[in-house]
Amino acid sequence: MELVLAFLKIGAVSYGGGWTIVGIIKTEVVGRGWLDEQGFSELVGLAQVTPGPVALNAATLVGYRLYGVPGSIAASLSVVFVPTLLILAAGFILGKLGERTALRLDQSLRTATFALVALTLWSFAPAAAASIPAAAYALVAFAVSAFTTVNPVWVILGAGSVETIRAVFAR
Amino acid sequence: MEETRNPGLFGIFSLFAGISTLTIGGGYAMIPVIARKVSSKGWLDEAEFYGLFATAQSLPGPMAYNTALLVGKRTAGAAGALCAGLGILLPPVTIVMIAAALVSTAGENAVMGAFLRGAGATVPGLVAALLLRMTLKRSWNPARALLSAGAAAAMIAAPVWAVPLFFVASAIAFLFERPEGGNGS
Repeated sequence: MELVLAFLKIGAVSYGGGWTIVGIIKTEVVGRGWLDEQGFSELVGLAQVTPGPVALNAATLVGYRLYGVPGSIAASLSVVFVPTLLILAAGFILGKLGERTALRLDQSLRTATFALVALTLWSFAPAAAASIPAAAYALVAFAVSAFTTVNPVWVILGAGSVETIRAVFAR
Repeated sequence: MEETRNPGLFGIFSLFAGISTLTIGGGYAMIPVIARKVSSKGWLDEAEFYGLFATAQSLPGPMAYNTALLVGKRTAGAAGALCAGLGILLPPVTIVMIAAALVSTAGENAVMGAFLRGAGATVPGLVAALLLRMTLKRSWNPARALLSAGAAAAMIAAPVWAVPLFFVASAIAFLFERPEGGNGS
């Protein structure tokens, strides 16, 4: 029950991409003494390897570590509960606002979101410039995603495969 | 409603389940994949999708999940939203539970580590492409351009304040948007 409450709260206050949410989960989970720092880091490693939103995966894992399968289902449902309600309500409220106000709001959020994505790019830039292979993967991903109709998922899986082959041959 | 705008509940579920199963690297890897798929299927045009993405950013919760819910809602109502949400949730929750039962420290495995490093290295490129596509699909005017650039500079200068700055920028932008829906000033 305490687990459900904690993840309801995490879901309600977590803004931005997965990494922000992971930070919030860490504060809650490590702060409550459910897991230690080391255990949490291992868990985040696993949340990255598995597909899907990193924050959701982290929630599922914490639930699993604490209470097994029921715990993981409870934690993942709790973390998305408040966002789900808000999204359903947002559509309703936007409908009440009238088309013009809704349009203004939509345009203003687009203006601000542009800045948020720019910030994300800025914070990722050093990682892309860190090595020649890293820059190459990023450049290919950029070119494919920006200028072709190829699904970017193939570039993600392809880069992973190429790096694995490189690592095997480097031994 | 045109045919293309009505993908069906199972169509929505399977699209998001597929994306959620294959995409490693979290939200910023998933958003470009979702953008590509929904526009190639003709459910939404790309500019409309970026509008939903903006709304998703303004609400709490995992970004990819919020965006999927909004796409489902726009194309097939509340039931569509729930199907999209289930599609995003189900594969990772299942895979994560199996993974948790099998291994405890996957990140320390050398081969898995290399695969992750490669997959993760594409994310900066994907974010750059997302920013470029958003720029190309936006109908710009001086006020919007100045505010976007100003907000970006402020967030880069003080990343800890990114979320409050997001709302301040939205509020200022709201004042500059003409109620007529014209091209602002």
